[in-house]
Amino acid sequence: MPSVCMYFEVHQPVRLNKFSVFRIGSNKDDTNYFNMELNRKIFEKVARKCYLPTNNLLIDLIKKFNGKFKVSFSLTGTFVEYCENFAPEVIDSFKELFATGSVDFIEETYFHSLSGLYDDLDEFEDQIKMHRKLMKRLFNYKPTVFRNTEAIYDNRVAKKVADMGYKGIITEGTEKILGWRSPNFMYKPVNCDLKVLLRNYTLSDDVGFRFSARQWVSYPLTADKYATWMSNCQGDLINLFMDYETFGEHHWTETGIFDFLSHFPGEVFKHNHLDFVTVSEAIQRYETVGEIDVPWAISWADADRDVSTWLGNDMQIACFNELKNIGRKLRNDGNEELLQVWRKLQTSDHLYYVSTKGLEDGDVHAYFSHYDGPYEGFINYMNILQDFKQKI
Amino acid sequence: MKIAMIGWEYPPFKAGGLATHCYGLTRSLADKNIKVDFYMPKTKHRATTDKSNLRIIEVGEAEIFPYDRPNDKELGGNFFDAVYRYNNLLVSRVMGKYDAVHCHDWLTMKAGIALKQKLGVPLILSIHSTEYDRSGWVYPNDWFINIEREGMQHADRIIAVSHFTKRIIVEKYGIDTNKIRVVHNAVYPLGEGKKRNLVLFLGRLTIQKGPEFFLRAARKVLDFEDTKFVVAGMGDMLPKLIDEAVNLGISNNVIFTGLLTEEEVKHIYKIASVYVMPSVSEPFGITALEAISAGTPAIVSKSAGVAETFSNCLRVDFWDTDEMANKIISILRYPPLRTTLSNQGKQEIELFTWDRVADKTIDVYREVVS
Repeated sequence: MPSVCMYFEVHQPVRLNKFSVFRIGSNKDDTNYFNMELNRKIFEKVARKCYLPTNNLLIDLIKKFNGKFKVSFSLTGTFVEYCENFAPEVIDSFKELFATGSVDFIEETYFHSLSGLYDDLDEFEDQIKMHRKLMKRLFNYKPTVFRNTEAIYDNRVAKKVADMGYKGIITEGTEKILGWRSPNFMYKPVNCDLKVLLRNYTLSDDVGFRFSARQWVSYPLTADKYATWMSNCQGDLINLFMDYETFGEHHWTETGIFDFLSHFPGEVFKHNHLDFVTVSEAIQRYETVGEIDVPWAISWADADRDVSTWLGNDMQIACFNELKNIGRKLRNDGNEELLQVWRKLQTSDHLYYVSTKGLEDGDVHAYFSHYDGPYEGFINYMNILQDFKQKI
Repeated sequence: MKIAMIGWEYPPFKAGGLATHCYGLTRSLADKNIKVDFYMPKTKHRATTDKSNLRIIEVGEAEIFPYDRPNDKELGGNFFDAVYRYNNLLVSRVMGKYDAVHCHDWLTMKAGIALKQKLGVPLILSIHSTEYDRSGWVYPNDWFINIEREGMQHADRIIAVSHFTKRIIVEKYGIDTNKIRVVHNAVYPLGEGKKRNLVLFLGRLTIQKGPEFFLRAARKVLDFEDTKFVVAGMGDMLPKLIDEAVNLGISNNVIFTGLLTEEEVKHIYKIASVYVMPSVSEPFGITALEAISAGTPAIVSKSAGVAETFSNCLRVDFWDTDEMANKIISILRYPPLRTTLSNQGKQEIELFTWDRVADKTIDVYREVVS
């Protein structure tokens, strides 16, 4: 009897101000790198189109099905800060969701950073602890499942996460690590004791990417069709992981995405052998069936499913190295204010904008970027890093 | 299929992108078994061809430099006469059996219209620039505009070198959008040379090309980076630009080359570290492709056709000299930016072949040739 495990990533980056080379070193005290006007505008728009209506719909659905419909979330620290500054009602609404008892929260790095790829994992650990504090403060809850930024995963990350006491971790169900094996089971890392939940990327992307694609053979995707696909699945667990902004933002209301979501649980329950679980229920209920060995980092991003999304060209690697070097000095000096700025600069989106990947992926990158292409993204980010470097 | 193509320049004689386009297009058409008779005025340098499907036929002499901007008084006199003389000559010289007449820009449009009637075949018109572009949108001249509009109205199909140009044809000339096709230009790639510390402007020194914005950006760059700025090309703005460089106090760092030979042009593309094309209004901008094909990162005006179709370049508003300087300095200062632009640019350039331009042009011929 496969269980459907829905999990949503909820994240907004702290976008940067326009910063030209002329400003580098021009003001010793100014670390106002963040374009809060733009950030606020985008956040309020997405809150209106996605966060609030989707939360309300989920609350209704959970009540309608007496708590048997279940979902999980990871809220990044930067997202929560936006909520607290610009729209506290969004946090209230997540609290209301949590109070239903059918909602689970997942741990991640507070800043949605690439710190899991640094040479030392001390910063990674610090950012996880910050997120742990945040979950405690908001929901008085201690997550048991961890999800690294964009599901970036390798043996080293798995080991660290296990050492920190988590029971489960989420990553991509790619053939790279599975070979012939199915993502609809749980696996164990070769080097530690942890349960790995693997995203069923075909079924997840059917909603996340393809829902409104008219040239797709399965268009239009209806809830009963989708539920039938679930019922035909073999295995223990169908992991549907996607951006929360799928609802109302990537796919607008007009595409019918909310109608789809509102009918989905009812259609799933028509199949007696299906049910819903949260991520922590999943790891309690099911056992691992095999091992996975991931020496090189994978992720759920782009077609390549690796870290080339953030570190795929010379410009990205140069920024990443600057960022790491700045951190080495800062973490020793311990200036709390500058440390906070550095951490906001670590959000992976800043490197995502600098990706030069072509064709399909490039279109996706352009959709998410507020820059006129990756080169502009690089110039702006690098200028800021150069300025910041002079301040420490 | 046999095409009578009418142009006014063809390498080795070359005043602008039109010569480059006609050369690449006619040779690739010939390779695809389209017979082309290319008619052009006699010049000092004799144009030749080694393709059996391609003939170059020189017709009389035109004492016209098509990019000149004569004032109104001169228009009534010799200039006016010379244009008509060349067009009349063409009409009488072009004969035989053709499937279509294909003209390029205003100078040949009168002849194109007459030949369409004389031969009873469709007229295809390529628009490489309009009077609005050449004037930099400052006092465009009605005499040219009227000729251009008449030609566009009579054409069965119009090939625009960009969507940017298509928009102008629709909005300023009132032409039906359904008969316009966009075919972006191409380039024969140049090899990469050993880069020197210099920033390049290359083009006619006219209001259209925005060379004064290049100098103003240079002024700002020189406060931060020590580099040389090369202004390559000739044009009516040269004296004014030399004065401007002196007034800005940067004449020690700016080199005016005057007109360069074909070989010198290739060389300077190869050794430049940055190419800047700050055009006020640029239908396409083949020079940007030439620079990029030589591994030189390019900063191009947002008012240029190439900016709408080429990804691996930097884009600026031509008037925003702060941003232009920001981008020049960034390319000089950050090697990863330079190498990524250069490597990705060279890869993307491989998509911009004359072969593709010929294919798309043949598609247009097929739409109207029975």
